[in-house]
Amino acid sequence: MQPELQANLSVLVAAAAAVVLALVLSPPRMSRSTLVANGGAGLAGMVFIAAAPSLELAVLVLLALGVLHAGAGGRREFAVRLRGPIAAAALLGLALFFARVQGPDVLSRFAAVGLAAGLAAGVGLLPYIHELDPEEPAALSPIVWIGFVGPVLATAVVLRAREVLPAGAGGAFGAMLIGLGLLNIVWGTVASWRTEAGAAAWHYSFVADWGLALCGFGLTVSEGSSAALLVLVSILIGRLPLYLASRQALREKTPTERPINLVVAAVLAGSAPFAGFAARVLLFRAATQLYWPLALVLALLMLLWLPGSLRLGQSLGLPRGRQAFGVGVVVALNVLIGLYPLPLLSLAGR
Amino acid sequence: MPSIAITGPILVPLLAAAVITTFGFFRFDLGRGASGAGAWGAVAVLLVLWLSVRSTQELNLGPLGYGSSLNLRLDAVAFAFGLMVSVPSAVLLTLQRRTWQEAAIAMVGLAAAMAAVEAGGVVLTAVAGGTAATLAVLLLDAEDIQAPRPRWSVMLAAWLALGWAGVIFQVLGGTAVYPAVPVAAVTAPVFTLFAVAALMASGMFPWRSWPAQLWARPSLRAAGMAIATVYPLGFYLLVRAYEVGDGRYPRQLFNVLLASLGILVALGAAARAQAAATRREFLGEVIPGFGGFALMTLALGTPLGLEAALITLATAAAFAACLPLLPDRAGPASLVTIAAAVGLPPGLAFGARVLGIESTFEAGDLLGLIGLAGAAGWALWMVGAARAIGLPAGRGHPVAETFPKIAMGIALLTLVAGPAAAAVQAGLAGPAAANVLGGSGATPGANLTTVVTVSTVLPALTLFVPLLLIAAIGYGLAGTALIRGQPRPVLFSLPGSTWMERARAALREATIPEQYRSLVNLPALESAVAGGRPLLWLAALVALAFAVTR
Amino acid sequence: MVIAEAAAAFVAWFGASVIVLADGRRGVALGLALTAAGLAFLAWPSAGVGAAIVIAAGGLLGAVVRNRSGPAGWVIMPAGSTPRLILCVAAALVSLWIAASVTSGDGAALRFAVLCVVVQMGGRLFTTRDPSITLAAVAALALAVADTVAIGPNSSGVAPFIVAALVAAGVMFVRLPASNAA
Repeated sequence: MQPELQANLSVLVAAAAAVVLALVLSPPRMSRSTLVANGGAGLAGMVFIAAAPSLELAVLVLLALGVLHAGAGGRREFAVRLRGPIAAAALLGLALFFARVQGPDVLSRFAAVGLAAGLAAGVGLLPYIHELDPEEPAALSPIVWIGFVGPVLATAVVLRAREVLPAGAGGAFGAMLIGLGLLNIVWGTVASWRTEAGAAAWHYSFVADWGLALCGFGLTVSEGSSAALLVLVSILIGRLPLYLASRQALREKTPTERPINLVVAAVLAGSAPFAGFAARVLLFRAATQLYWPLALVLALLMLLWLPGSLRLGQSLGLPRGRQAFGVGVVVALNVLIGLYPLPLLSLAGR
Repeated sequence: MPSIAITGPILVPLLAAAVITTFGFFRFDLGRGASGAGAWGAVAVLLVLWLSVRSTQELNLGPLGYGSSLNLRLDAVAFAFGLMVSVPSAVLLTLQRRTWQEAAIAMVGLAAAMAAVEAGGVVLTAVAGGTAATLAVLLLDAEDIQAPRPRWSVMLAAWLALGWAGVIFQVLGGTAVYPAVPVAAVTAPVFTLFAVAALMASGMFPWRSWPAQLWARPSLRAAGMAIATVYPLGFYLLVRAYEVGDGRYPRQLFNVLLASLGILVALGAAARAQAAATRREFLGEVIPGFGGFALMTLALGTPLGLEAALITLATAAAFAACLPLLPDRAGPASLVTIAAAVGLPPGLAFGARVLGIESTFEAGDLLGLIGLAGAAGWALWMVGAARAIGLPAGRGHPVAETFPKIAMGIALLTLVAGPAAAAVQAGLAGPAAANVLGGSGATPGANLTTVVTVSTVLPALTLFVPLLLIAAIGYGLAGTALIRGQPRPVLFSLPGSTWMERARAALREATIPEQYRSLVNLPALESAVAGGRPLLWLAALVALAFAVTR
Repeated sequence: MVIAEAAAAFVAWFGASVIVLADGRRGVALGLALTAAGLAFLAWPSAGVGAAIVIAAGGLLGAVVRNRSGPAGWVIMPAGSTPRLILCVAAALVSLWIAASVTSGDGAALRFAVLCVVVQMGGRLFTTRDPSITLAAVAALALAVADTVAIGPNSSGVAPFIVAALVAAGVMFVRLPASNAA
């Protein structure tokens, strides 16, 4: 199998599972056929991005995907919806430019800047957070980028960065990813706790998780990328389905405090035995190997997940029927991956 | 015995939880029978596994994917702590009625706690222990979401810290498996992290922390399970720390600090107990009091100290089962329980404290002073107990979940088990101490009737049995008629005892002063950052480019 | 050849500038066609004639389709377009400096054109809310990204150019929602 595709296999499988979970967990007013169509199109785009043999092909697929998503409708203006993907394509294009030209070494660092910034713009992370309209349907909102397409895009960019960037710029790329990661962790955790709108709180919680993933990608040891992979998978089969399940309760503004809400909060906070805890252990391992003060900073920041997660858990409301079953499946999957992540990591060739 | 059998104490409660849940979904509540059967099944399997072999059994099921293998180990330490976790859980699950959801959560929590004590390495312990802690919080919330419970942030921090310590062992020493960690990897900073995790996991602080706060809940069903499954785990870690360090802590300073902390915990509990306003409040300090004494002697680093700690913890486990079953009213049950809890002779608590204080004197130097403080704390408990007999009962918990005769039976059992202190030491505590302290862990000439220490011999059986007989005859002749439950004044009030609560309340109500609020406009900041502004995006790009050129 | 390349680079920049400065469909279509022509010519020496033809065809098709929908007329440099003009000039100057002075080696014209188009199209995105103009910017950006392959040794073959052409032409057929259609 093509190495690029192999590296993304776990994420693609998780994305497919996310589509199935979305069908189970979507609120009644969301059209299932629209969900299937959008999810299928997104999945196809992700496969193309993953299978693209070069970064410029991945960028072109990103552009096409961005246009299709923007053209699907939504409350935000078309141009606003396209800002993220186009900015990402432009920045990645600049990165490719600086990586290929001959000149002083600083140009390769600019290439690293382009890659990191392009990745952040494509996914919708700080400082390139995509504008969110809380009333917009989930399938048409920026959550699609940050919670569905983003994982494959990130893995593709990071994998190809190693081919595109010369040796000297790799360190700069990693450092930038870690810096952006820490920034996103702080912003995402605090904002998801303190922001007024429930949908925005969920959005920022995705940002926080991505901060962990970026730190993992920036730590250039295998445990770091394994940690990032686990975080991305936990986003796809944990945070994203739970967000979809919470849409109706968010609209009705009916937070509840039942045991299921605490379980969901535990899943979102990355406590044992869920997937987030295993990711954190791997992240500790990677950080300790390379630079232990970073592990200390991460350990302290990890506690910031709690208040936001408790709030988000309550915002789920009380799931019933099909939704309760779906939440149960999400929890079970997260437990399975949290206790035994080896098959998932092996699937990705780690 | 096939090595896969080691998973029995973990799988049996999980199986019971699965059965309870399946029937529960079909609206059929199996009641206490199923949960009791599951818990006692775990106890039975544990006893069979250990008593049939009496040596370490291991099982390695291969790598899990985060640097650790599924490595389980049943040795004397795991056996001792396994009993401390499973027996009180089994008692509570058998007797107290719960909804099927609570029963299922409790069973899974028990399985997680058993996994934590059977885990062969630090990282796996962190995963299992973190799971047990999360499930305990979940159980407490399922019962009553408004009632006091442990701070989830502290619980999460504890097990995250342990996970990090395990990872550091893997990086520095190549492994986090307890007996295989190289001593060179156990540096002072790593041990500090390990110890802090242990202290936070069990709430071993001089101030009133979660093991005491739980007793203020209207119902004690979930509180009892939380104490039974989670409280011993911090001590388990400190015991395993000896194994990791090849029989000692990396610096003697740690022994002194932890022992000092232990006495502070014990004294703090004693001081709060003697100032308690209700009997429930007094009894709420019993478990932390035991914990403080256990920490004090555990930290000494001597075989006798460790054995005394284990006997103390075993006694505490008995009270973890006894106290939730005790009704909040005066009577023989309360009287016997209080007497047994504070260490009246010839109970097991009495024997453990005697051994503990003896061990501090044998350790010598500053640690002997700590023993004196321990004796003073014990005296304070006696004063508190005398006062507690005359205290009002407290808010009361539902009568349906109390079993006064059984509570009294458990307390009596600890009282009459005092003469068997030597047997407990020989059968339970001694092998565990030898396991972690290595060659220095064997107490010379241990037998079932006598405790032999470095400097003396304590003939437990021959000394305590006459005491027991005298106490029984005395009680039989006098009965409870001579016991007057009268209100007694507090010996002393803790200065600044409420400062922490006041400080916390002040912090919660703190706001930015009016004249500075315009400087910190969070909604505007959020709107600026998340509004997709082109200037911000451009500025960020320039900043990144500038950063990489430095 | 050097003069021809310089002219092509100028044409690419000019086309991108027209996309930036025009608000009418004819102006945007012309700009896209010029950009495609310039980029195609510049890709020819290193990527081959096939790549050049593909780029030109994709851009031209996109321009033809763009000419059929969007705001009518040319509307080049309407009132308030001074910042956009500054963007075009600044992009040209900075790109020229980077292409000619900072970087080295053959293909300075290609470097200049790619950099110009990428920067200008990225900037155009933030100066318009019209979907048809945004799509034209996307098309030009796609062609420029493909042309980065022509910088340095080309190991990706003609595939990126084909995909870019498909994107450039294909996005023009995207049906816009009624609330967002011009």
